[in-house]
Amino acid sequence: MNSIPQKIIVNIEDSKYLSWKLCLINKLKSLKSTNIEIDCKNLDLSCTDILEIISIAKENNCEIIGFCSTSLKTIVSSQSLGCKSQFIIENNSNETLKINEKSLTFSKTYFHQGTVRSGEYIESSGDLLILGDVNPGAKVSAEGNIIIWGRLLGIAHAGNKGNSQATISALQLRPVQLRIAKKVARGPKEKPQIGLAEQARIDSEEIIISPLETS
Amino acid sequence: MATDTRVILICSGKGGVGKTTLTANLGISLARQGLTTAVLDADFGLRNLDLLLGLENRIVYTAQEVLEEECRLDQALVKHKQESNLSLLPAGNPRMLDWLKPDDMKRIVDMLKEQFNYVLIDCPAGVEDGFKNAMAASQEAIVVTNPEVSAVRDADRVIGLLNTNAIKPVQLVLNRVRPKMMANQEMLSIDDVTDILALPLLGLVLEDEQVIVSTNRGEPLTLNSVNSPAAKCYLNIAKRLQGEDIPLIDPVEESSGFGAKFRKLMQTKIF
Repeated sequence: MNSIPQKIIVNIEDSKYLSWKLCLINKLKSLKSTNIEIDCKNLDLSCTDILEIISIAKENNCEIIGFCSTSLKTIVSSQSLGCKSQFIIENNSNETLKINEKSLTFSKTYFHQGTVRSGEYIESSGDLLILGDVNPGAKVSAEGNIIIWGRLLGIAHAGNKGNSQATISALQLRPVQLRIAKKVARGPKEKPQIGLAEQARIDSEEIIISPLETS
Repeated sequence: MATDTRVILICSGKGGVGKTTLTANLGISLARQGLTTAVLDADFGLRNLDLLLGLENRIVYTAQEVLEEECRLDQALVKHKQESNLSLLPAGNPRMLDWLKPDDMKRIVDMLKEQFNYVLIDCPAGVEDGFKNAMAASQEAIVVTNPEVSAVRDADRVIGLLNTNAIKPVQLVLNRVRPKMMANQEMLSIDDVTDILALPLLGLVLEDEQVIVSTNRGEPLTLNSVNSPAAKCYLNIAKRLQGEDIPLIDPVEESSGFGAKFRKLMQTKIF
């Protein structure tokens, strides 16, 4: 392996028109190298995905010597299959930089335990976690996300400095009013299902409420 | 001299939910159990407690004169005619509204603590200065509310303020409960109220026309008409306050109970 001087790095990524698989097949078609390193960028790949990449390479008479990625999941997958793997902490990619910045500013989480009662106001410069109910007449506000381990019956304002990516989650979402960034919405009229945590976020310029996904 | 005096604030936030009525009836009930009780009317701007107890014409001095050392405390205390264990102390004169400060309140209550087992403070409506004064000297509180959205909202606000001032325990009295309306779900249910306020329920008081009659007469219900539904509720609250374990009435059962009782009565009359 080390006798072969030239290492070819193949980038794969998901684009709007092309999935990473097609992208890989297209690139490997023109190559006939036994010294390929796959740069998976920020793709989250599972072990099956990695195996598939290796088999695609074989079909195209190529051999993969290793993987590199900025995704921890991909690295773990490839490493567990015994491939040479390199974790890249990327600082030249704008996208990842932005994410890093975001997580930096939102790392300050304000934690409140107990019921937030009518007339009370709780504000956080980062995320806000409330262990208890937010009663009608109370207001909670955060620059980041709001998570309520209880019922939200009052007003919640996530992303109060304009972050439209912010979300509001609660075990029972029955607010008087919801605000995310500059959008305002009235609470739903119908009672939500009991035992179903919900999340409000902005989707195509509107605040929508959907069952909370754990990701 | 009583060493373990309980100083209880009776408050609600919203006006007209029954703070003063509860104070008067609780005062009488406790006095009847042999406990020396003082009721302090902190709502002296619009003072009514003396009316309810029928003591209006006996007031000579108020706590204001006591603090200014124009009279002794026992001169200002108005003893109830029938229940000698109960005394009323108006906190101030309706014409001198802004003399009272939180420290004054503490001094008065400290004086009362030396003589009484219970000090009940009738708090004014609202969350402004009057409430803050009344709260200053209290150790525990009873929040009165009605099964209405507005009363519950105000009670919630008051509970928040009580919590920030470390007043414990805070208990809840749900006043003017109409069992029939609750059974038909036309009124907030007990669970609706306790869910929001998250407080232990000290008692329910049923809606009772006799309350109006007794107010106008200046004779609290618990004094004479012990058989009225509201009077029973007040007595139960007083007993629970003393640590007795008395089960809460179930308003739904009560509503069907009324009908059943009525039918029974009809049957006995006819046959």
